[in-house]
Amino acid sequence: MEDSRVTGQVSLDSPSLRHQMRLARLLRSVVSAPEFGPFVLLVIEIVVFTLRSPVFLSASNISNVLAFTPELGMISLGMTLLMTAGEFDLSVGSVFGFAPIIMWTVYNTHTASLETGFVIAMVLSALIGFINGWMVTRLKIPSFLVTLGMLLVVRGIALYITDGFPQRTWSANSALTNVIVGEFSLGGLRIHASVLWFVLFTVILGYVLTESKAGNWIQAAGGNADAARARGVRVAQTKILLFILTAVISAYAGVTSSIRVSAANPNSGTSYELEVIAMVVIGGTALTGGRGTIIGTVIGVLILRMMRNGIVLVGVPGLAYNIFIGAIILGMMALHSWLERRHRAGT
Amino acid sequence: MADELVRMERINKFFGRVQALNDVTLSVRKNEIIGLLGDNGAGKSTLIKILSGALRPDSGEIYIHGAKVKMRNTSDAIARGIETIYQDSALVTQLSVARNLFLGREPVKGPRVFDRLDQQAMNEAARQLLKQVGITKDIPSTTPISALSGGERQAVAIARAMHFESELIILDEPTNNLGVEETQGVLRFVRNARDSGHSCIFIAHNIYHVFQVVNRIVIMRRGKKVADDIDPKQTTIEAVERIITGMALAPL
Repeated sequence: MEDSRVTGQVSLDSPSLRHQMRLARLLRSVVSAPEFGPFVLLVIEIVVFTLRSPVFLSASNISNVLAFTPELGMISLGMTLLMTAGEFDLSVGSVFGFAPIIMWTVYNTHTASLETGFVIAMVLSALIGFINGWMVTRLKIPSFLVTLGMLLVVRGIALYITDGFPQRTWSANSALTNVIVGEFSLGGLRIHASVLWFVLFTVILGYVLTESKAGNWIQAAGGNADAARARGVRVAQTKILLFILTAVISAYAGVTSSIRVSAANPNSGTSYELEVIAMVVIGGTALTGGRGTIIGTVIGVLILRMMRNGIVLVGVPGLAYNIFIGAIILGMMALHSWLERRHRAGT
Repeated sequence: MADELVRMERINKFFGRVQALNDVTLSVRKNEIIGLLGDNGAGKSTLIKILSGALRPDSGEIYIHGAKVKMRNTSDAIARGIETIYQDSALVTQLSVARNLFLGREPVKGPRVFDRLDQQAMNEAARQLLKQVGITKDIPSTTPISALSGGERQAVAIARAMHFESELIILDEPTNNLGVEETQGVLRFVRNARDSGHSCIFIAHNIYHVFQVVNRIVIMRRGKKVADDIDPKQTTIEAVERIITGMALAPL
């Protein structure tokens, strides 16, 4: 800011210089954005994998990555808003497995139509989110404990209902399954409808976080809940709604996955919660709340999903995957904390 | 009194068996800056917390413009025009100046369903306000609070109180931990606030600061009000200090 003053008036009038200065300022704000580090990492990752493996950028591999990315991606979007509000949810993986179990059990036992089953699964998941939010905000139990308990309860219900066996999902080919995850091809790529839903959710939730009044409340609730409450922000209500959103979007992701892989396994989604939280924090959202970025989360999702895919392609044993994920998380956290400190000191 | 803004009548407050406030009555007139003084534990903060809705009295009444009111929480107080600014002013440090100024009362534009913040209006109003409270440094409205100094943060909090037409601004130790220049800034804001028609209650340990800006000094000791109508122009700092410590009786 200051250096624009230092230069004399004569040079300020020169349009090319002013243009250059605006460019420099733009560049600086891009570099200091929390999404910049993850973005560079993503580019490096793509370049390395492309150089090391000829199949990485092939149409079939891109189709592969695009098939499974939206499912964890959707959960991450919900988690981003929740974490910005200062809470997180460990039960997302369980809900991911639970919702399709409910939907397909209702259908396979001829209790009701597939559509009704879908609605029931979504309503029950919303209820799970509500209970999470209610216990965190009204009983003031830390979200770590509440959602850890909920993780076990929900997973237990899914296992109990099914006796541990997967539910059939291939017998139904309804309009609903086509809308959720129907396949179509686009210039040589096989694309699932879930990619479009993921893009749509990204746009909507990105808008909510940065452009809407609700987004201001979400950030304030996570940044300084007491201050926000004193200004009349309904902190508890905001958090409860975000718990519901996270649960419902996880349920939807689970349903999507069950249709795509043609099976609803009561164990699916196990340990997704940690991978999702990793994606969100790698993208630049603060674990402590107050600051969140949807774009960063999308980048974080791509970093981890492409890593899982690329590592196998370049011939690293699949079992070594976690080493890389862990290293990325640690590296990114170090970067974010360094940027944060520099930001504080530099002003 | 016609120009009485707030009146706290015979307020009592116990914490367990300790009586923090003993029949305290306090009134604030329009366009008046009151200095509330007292040693640690005198009950200043308790009294202020009751007025700002953070605590509830065990007995006693609060009147605003002569009408009896009940304040259940801080938003009730803010809605009635009583704004409290604490030392680490209640701002969300991650959010920008503009977003903090309008927190909880954000202007929205476009159709209601889109819930869209009118960021342009927010930033513009924030820019004007910062100028009004005397921040001459060029701080963009989109700067996060975390990048501001202590004095600048106080200024933002005061600007917020002024913008939303608070009639009474309570400043609880606003000059603690501030540098010399920042302290001068805060004192200037207080004078500005009076000139633009706000009343203030100013709490500070530093009597010198209080003497510089207030119209009237109220002194508390051990939960009781011991002096109410001290004119800083008619008395000395030493005399006030003696009353605070209990070495002299108040000229009530």
